[in-house]
Amino acid sequence: MRHLFCLLFAGAIMILGAQRPDPQQLLKEIDSNLTSNSAKSTTRMIINSRRSSRTLISVNYSLGKDKAFTEYTSPPREKGTKMLKLKDQLWIYEPASDRIIQISGNMLRQSVMGSDLSYEDFMEDTELAIAYTAIISGEIKHENRDCWILKLTARKKDTNYYTKTLYVDKERNVPLYEASYAKSGKLLKSMKLSDVRRIGSRWYPHKLQYKDELKDGKGTEFIFENISLDLNIPDHIFNRAVLRK
Amino acid sequence: MLFRLAFKNIVGNGWRSLINMLILTIVLTGIVWMQSMYHSWLSLAERQIREWEVLQGHYQQNSYDQYDFFSWEKSLAPIPQELSKAISEDRAVPILLSPVTIYPQGRSIYALAKGIPPDQKISKLPSQYISHREDGILPAMIGKVMARNSRLGEGDTFTMRIRNIHGTFDAVDIRIAHIMDCPVPALDLGTIWLSLDELQMLKDADNYASLILIDDPDLGTKSYPEWKFRTPRDLLYDLEQVKKTESGQQVIMFIIFLFLAGIAIFDTQVLSVFKRRKEIGTLIALGMTKSQIIYMFTLEGVMYALFAVLLSGILGFPLFYYFATVGFKMPEGFEGYNFAGLSEPIKFVYPPLIVIYCVLIVLGFTALFSWIPVSRIARLKATDALRGKMK
Repeated sequence: MRHLFCLLFAGAIMILGAQRPDPQQLLKEIDSNLTSNSAKSTTRMIINSRRSSRTLISVNYSLGKDKAFTEYTSPPREKGTKMLKLKDQLWIYEPASDRIIQISGNMLRQSVMGSDLSYEDFMEDTELAIAYTAIISGEIKHENRDCWILKLTARKKDTNYYTKTLYVDKERNVPLYEASYAKSGKLLKSMKLSDVRRIGSRWYPHKLQYKDELKDGKGTEFIFENISLDLNIPDHIFNRAVLRK
Repeated sequence: MLFRLAFKNIVGNGWRSLINMLILTIVLTGIVWMQSMYHSWLSLAERQIREWEVLQGHYQQNSYDQYDFFSWEKSLAPIPQELSKAISEDRAVPILLSPVTIYPQGRSIYALAKGIPPDQKISKLPSQYISHREDGILPAMIGKVMARNSRLGEGDTFTMRIRNIHGTFDAVDIRIAHIMDCPVPALDLGTIWLSLDELQMLKDADNYASLILIDDPDLGTKSYPEWKFRTPRDLLYDLEQVKKTESGQQVIMFIIFLFLAGIAIFDTQVLSVFKRRKEIGTLIALGMTKSQIIYMFTLEGVMYALFAVLLSGILGFPLFYYFATVGFKMPEGFEGYNFAGLSEPIKFVYPPLIVIYCVLIVLGFTALFSWIPVSRIARLKATDALRGKMK
């Protein structure tokens, strides 16, 4: 009789194990969907403040984790503003003052163009599988998609957000919702990812909605109007000289 | 004899003399009042800065630069053992700094959190208000200006976001336990005061501090590897610069006041010489030298100033006494200048040196303005003067 119970128990574990993926492997799948060697995109950023909203269009390039370049093309007031990230350094060029400013220290906490994103968020590039350990805490139906609920805990002390919760699309291995928490457990930021489309072998969300949960407002939307992944980007794009061009 | 003659002439001039004296009295009283106000204000500011902030000097963590906001995040180090002992003996007080973001009513405001032991006694900061958590909410204290700028009141709660020394975000609910009337803007503007233990816990920086304020001069004689010592003189450098700037401004005010008095004296002397041409001629004919006559006329001018000194003492006394006892409260708008010494009435003190200095300046200028118009007597011929001619 005892053997029968043991067999049933082992069987149940095997069935559950077969149903639930390895959370760490799931994080790797997410990373492989969302990260690429290089990318070029045109994005529309809709910043919804308390009183109004405004839209900024930018062309963005990225190469690996260390290099990123953004040039704003609209509205006319922001046109020509450029941002260059090289490793952990960030520069901004403003055409109105014709000056290049390095963003460092506390300036990194300030919001990018009045959005819900700080420069720090803009700089964050760590892959989830490297930065966090994960457990699957349950399942949820989110935006009509079956999702795993993933609870992430930082591996290292120097990670920005100590814990995160992700709703990961079971079929496509793409998070559809991400909540970032403070060490105390207070929700700080949330991100909704939608309009998931196929790009080559990966699934990629084309609409992101960031929200600073401590602040009033509707958050900031990111819409990818077009995106190309793993393409050749010339090195001169990531040169400081390009800021003034 | 010349002195007697000069005195008689002043008395003989009647109302004109009295008006001159009154003008000089107003000028002298104004100058003494202004000098005393600046002196008293800067003395008050210095006293307040010393009592609230500077004490007997600071140990500052090596990276700390008071003028560089960006340096504050990384300006922290373990408190040296010897200073820990001084802290426990109430001879020093540690302060930990951390840039934070606060979210009152859903707005985000960048601020500087400062952690201080609530039971400290050596600074005048009323830190006892931030000692106890209520319902798990952290008590905090802010200054009046910060409260006005951030639209916060006593009892208001909000969330504060902070990064610990490793870079991880933490967030905690805060309640404003007290709004202090702090006379030192550096301790008020953009600053939120918390219990040191709580801030150390949030920063994951147990026993760390950014500044150590000392109240015992002997403590400042030692050096510690991660700390630099700043004497009160170093810390009051800004105030010294203000004093220099203010003394420059005072010179301008001085000149304006003296110019007004000078015009009155000058005018009187010109008229006096013109009206008394025959008297001058007679005095020369009687054997008086031109220098003696110039001296007599100049003496008349100086005597106006001497009488003005006397009148200032009598007529100005109620004014001086009022400002020494009741004080001078700066108008509300002056708080915006963000300078110490403006939050409470300035009670005037009149150091003898300042009074003597003002009196001598007024006497000197009066003598100069009296002499210039009468110096032309030197070119006057006795015969022309007797005939009432003046070239």
